[in-house]
Amino acid sequence: MMRRLIGRNGGGLRSSAGLTLAAAAGISWFATATPTPVGAAAATGAIQGRVDIRQVVPATERRPTVTDFGSPRERDLVDRLKSVVYLEAAPRGAFERSEPGRAVMNQRNETFVPHLLAITTGTVVDFPNGDPFYHNVFSLSKVNRFDLGRYPSGKLKSVQFTQPGIVRVFCEIHSHMNAFILVFSHPFFTVTDDSGRYRIDDVPPGVYNVIAWNEGRASEPRGVTVPNAGTTELDFELR
Amino acid sequence: MSHRGGAVATTALIVLILASARAGAQSVTSETISFAGGRVTLGGDVSATFSCTDSEISTSSVCADDTGFFNYTDYEHSALRMMRIDLTGSVRATNRLSFLVEVRSEDGGRLQPYALYARIRPWLSKPIDFQVGRVPPTFGAFIRSTYASDNLLIGYPLAYQYLMSIRADALPANADELLRMRGRGWLSTFSVGNTAPDRGLPLANAFRWDTGVQVHAAGRLVEGTMAVTTGSLGNPLVHDDNPGKQVAARVVARPLPGLVVGASGAVAPFVTRDAAASAGAANSISNLTQAAFGFDAEYSRDYYLVRMETIVSDWRVPLVQTPSIHLPLRAATILVEGRYKIRPGLYAAARFDHIGFSQISGTTRTAGWEAPVNRVEVGGGYSLLRNLLLKGAYQRDTRPAGRTQKINAIATQAVFWF
Repeated sequence: MMRRLIGRNGGGLRSSAGLTLAAAAGISWFATATPTPVGAAAATGAIQGRVDIRQVVPATERRPTVTDFGSPRERDLVDRLKSVVYLEAAPRGAFERSEPGRAVMNQRNETFVPHLLAITTGTVVDFPNGDPFYHNVFSLSKVNRFDLGRYPSGKLKSVQFTQPGIVRVFCEIHSHMNAFILVFSHPFFTVTDDSGRYRIDDVPPGVYNVIAWNEGRASEPRGVTVPNAGTTELDFELR
Repeated sequence: MSHRGGAVATTALIVLILASARAGAQSVTSETISFAGGRVTLGGDVSATFSCTDSEISTSSVCADDTGFFNYTDYEHSALRMMRIDLTGSVRATNRLSFLVEVRSEDGGRLQPYALYARIRPWLSKPIDFQVGRVPPTFGAFIRSTYASDNLLIGYPLAYQYLMSIRADALPANADELLRMRGRGWLSTFSVGNTAPDRGLPLANAFRWDTGVQVHAAGRLVEGTMAVTTGSLGNPLVHDDNPGKQVAARVVARPLPGLVVGASGAVAPFVTRDAAASAGAANSISNLTQAAFGFDAEYSRDYYLVRMETIVSDWRVPLVQTPSIHLPLRAATILVEGRYKIRPGLYAAARFDHIGFSQISGTTRTAGWEAPVNRVEVGGGYSLLRNLLLKGAYQRDTRPAGRTQKINAIATQAVFWF
């Protein structure tokens, strides 16, 4: 059964305190929801759809290299089309199910790859330096403040993200390098593909609010009912 | 900037910073402004600096200024009491041609252009660039740290900021005149050429840029730059005031990860036509040169960074009267500075800096032609946000000449950049 719900806010959201960055972006990370049961919860469903970005945030340019003697080296352009789609409030018991894992954010051609990473709390992110010169990865985000120092090509340093929230990642040496890591305390989120498509699997049947997030912009929460063993279609448009 | 004006500017910027910080990281402009598909980019660096010294001759009962003029820049402003706004822009006309500009305002003055040049890359596949116009100084390493956001501390290195008594438009007639100006570079006066009191020159001027042509080629481990410009190392110019040109070169090598080693050289006639003529040396003006050689190194790894730079500069001035000035007039500087990151956003830094001078003999004494200066600065910075930095520093300057022979200064600086 496929249903499409537009413009409805589901209930059951409890906002969390002490998450300034998340709150600034209109996002709640700790909240738990009591899903409205849709029959017996024997099987899980899925939410899928597309995030349409009407105004793409342009890639960060270098600061004008006025004091340099020559042209800056070529670098890769950042893909800012990808978004994160997530449940605003996770079902009870979701937190026990999330298993911390490992993820990689490379530094290549003066770009963080991927530019956007979505992980669960406890995940360790590796930051290998794939460039033939120094990088210095750091974040001053309140939820996960770290500085890996300077390290050369081929070296790798890691950070465990223990608090949910939005973490902006930068390079101290190359000011145009930046990335986002979204840390969730539940597993009901996903990153869209190149065409903006997404799919969140294994969602217990119930009523949820779903949010799409891109480069600091968050959609209004959209209510959706996930049926038993079915898939619900839900599209977003971010301006 | 006046004491009160500096305090107001500093307070205003700190209020802005704190308000921004409270509003959250995402609300402050933190990225370079770009438009036209990235062809036009704008950046900026705004800093407010205020300091108090323990000067015994100050008339201020609350917070004394730098009465020894140790920190005064080429623009007759103190680096320790300054509101500075730098705006930089880049226009990429084609893949081969860009235009770069920097305008700057100090202490509320109107914005003035400090850099304006075209960058040309004739062969896209080869890392060779030509820069034409008012170009960045070729000599030395510190030029890339002149912005407040790049400077580890608040004060500047003596070689690039400290005003010596030597001038391009006024010349000492003999050794006695030169010795009389020891420690008075902020307002020196000589009897040959322009006799009006005016500021002297720094060894190398990192804040005013020269005009000419620069070529730069980069390899994997080594890069080189060469320039022909109108002025001299201590006195960059837009319009030349003598028939000679400056030739400057710099070579940088990166033999190991984190290690950068550089060597620089520059030579140029520095005396103005009028001053040379007044000294009866109009025909030998091309021999009245400033010639300098510098060596610098930087090593960084993990949470620390160490830099050193040493410069030796020789000036040749006309010999007008006895007791004659022993040539060349030599100045030698060395600085060592370091930074250690204590925790994310917080660092400590220190710099030791010395400038010394060659000896000359006057009628009654033999001494350095200028008074040597030692500067020690320790401090640190804390980033409220990625591009909002608060610095604090203690600086001690000593010099065995002048009305004020030492100062102890406490300085604070707020820096915002994008």
